Amino acid sequence: MRKKLDKIFAFFICGMTVFSILVLGFVIYFIVREALPLFSEVSVLDFLFGSRWMPVDYTGTVSFGIFNFIAATIAVSFTALALALGAGLGAAVFLAFVATERLRSFLYPFVDLLAGIPSVIYGFVGLQVLVKLFLKAGVPTGSCVLAAGILLAVMLLPFLVSSCCETMLKEKEKYELVACALGVSRWYAAATVILPASGRNILLSMILAIGRAMGETMAVMMVMGNANLFPRLLGKSESIASVIALEMGTAVYGSTHYHALYAAGMVLMLLLFLINGLIGLIRSRMEGETL
Amino acid sequence: MRWIGTFTKIWAYAGISAVCAAVLFLFGYVFFQGAGIISVEFLTEAPKGLVLGEEGGIWPAITGSLCFTGTAMVLASVPAAASALYLVFYCRSQRLYQAIRLVIQCISGIPSIVLGLFAYSFLVRDLNLGRCIFSAGVALAVMILPFIEVRAEKAFREVPAELVRSSYSLGCSKLYTITRIVLPACRGELVSGIILGGCYAMGATAPMIFTGAVAYAAVPDSIFSPAMALPLHLYLLVAQGSTSMDTAYGTAFVMMAMILLSSLLATAYARRSQNRWKRS
Repeated sequence: MRKKLDKIFAFFICGMTVFSILVLGFVIYFIVREALPLFSEVSVLDFLFGSRWMPVDYTGTVSFGIFNFIAATIAVSFTALALALGAGLGAAVFLAFVATERLRSFLYPFVDLLAGIPSVIYGFVGLQVLVKLFLKAGVPTGSCVLAAGILLAVMLLPFLVSSCCETMLKEKEKYELVACALGVSRWYAAATVILPASGRNILLSMILAIGRAMGETMAVMMVMGNANLFPRLLGKSESIASVIALEMGTAVYGSTHYHALYAAGMVLMLLLFLINGLIGLIRSRMEGETL
Repeated sequence: MRWIGTFTKIWAYAGISAVCAAVLFLFGYVFFQGAGIISVEFLTEAPKGLVLGEEGGIWPAITGSLCFTGTAMVLASVPAAASALYLVFYCRSQRLYQAIRLVIQCISGIPSIVLGLFAYSFLVRDLNLGRCIFSAGVALAVMILPFIEVRAEKAFREVPAELVRSSYSLGCSKLYTITRIVLPACRGELVSGIILGGCYAMGATAPMIFTGAVAYAAVPDSIFSPAMALPLHLYLLVAQGSTSMDTAYGTAFVMMAMILLSSLLATAYARRSQNRWKRS
């Protein structure tokens, strides 16, 4: 009897695991199924590299090109990453080298609070504060890629700070005594030994952060202006996720527009799978080296 | 060459002050702007006004958000905990382990808006459920599944191996070991992981825009009816422009307070029920 229960439980656990794996398959299947019909009407190249997006034929022809959206998604993620690294890496150095154990156990959860704020609230505060500031500074309407980049950077901070600090603490443990024994000052050791030594792990968290930034919808949508333009730092633009969120409600079920939005979602999903695959590759190579 | 050290020092101090300033500013801004709006009426009435939401309260949005979050937590926690158990206690092949990890990482990499698309074509259209709490709940559940799984797996791994091995060597089955030793030992982390996942789901807007959340609905009476949700309500209020800013600040305040309180409670609970082998 007991043995039977044990078997049933093992079966249940396996089943649930298979189910979780199938979830990924399910998502991919449904997105691809809805996206494919588009490519019988629009060629893949036109879709990826065309820059005209006219889903409804008010003015003659319809046209589906998402080049600007892809460019905007990438531009805003990299802007955000650059800004977040500037502040986040500094903060991580502080936490790893200056803060005592006690201060760190207070500052960690404090910075982590940022991760708990929903993205709509980021968008809302960004709209009320950042966009108004940009408007005052002379950017027409105030919405721009830089504003979205700043917001996203703040959203990436908690993640970057904690992962970078963790790596640096590990490296510090390895090298600090040696550096001390050689009479190297703490800050010099931090800059020339420990930062470069944690470089690869930092790169890994940077790629992870890029992945997160690309999938972000609400905060970006609310402050980026949403105009189909090639992204410039102080100009409006529109990311893939925002196009989907904004137009899905008005797209007729089964129309080319509807399929085009799924295809845009598929492109976004593929971009992120690429990033995750890259992370897996780097990670397994790193493990291979340390073994 | 000394400048490089000095530069790092300045960078470190500037970095931490920028980060702390961002945290203080965001919380301070929302709390100061929103605190004045909160009243009993705001919390317990439905939205009213010529432009909807300009006056009145957000009660249906609060209950709706709780329903969405609850559905997602229930749907996600069982498969997440089960796959964590599988990875830690059942999986014997290293290669299979790597593969499952990669799949879970890929699920966590799917952008939330794409999960919304998935739930729309699968549940809203194919299964003909229409926009409802359940459809959006599924999308949110997929979103938080990897989140809970990672936390659960970490907790299971931290159970000392000798504890598990002694249980096996006393002849206890895996089922007995897991239900009597591992799960009670990890209860705090599991519960807090699920609640934190819930907080994450509560703030997400993108997956529910076209799968379940609507601009106005009464307090939901079943999980197959559409409902209001706090984040979407906030977004719509902001989109309406300056007349509904007051209620928007109030909504943001309520949402942030709910999320912050539940995540603090979850963390406190996890810490309180922390195990002997981790204190020291």
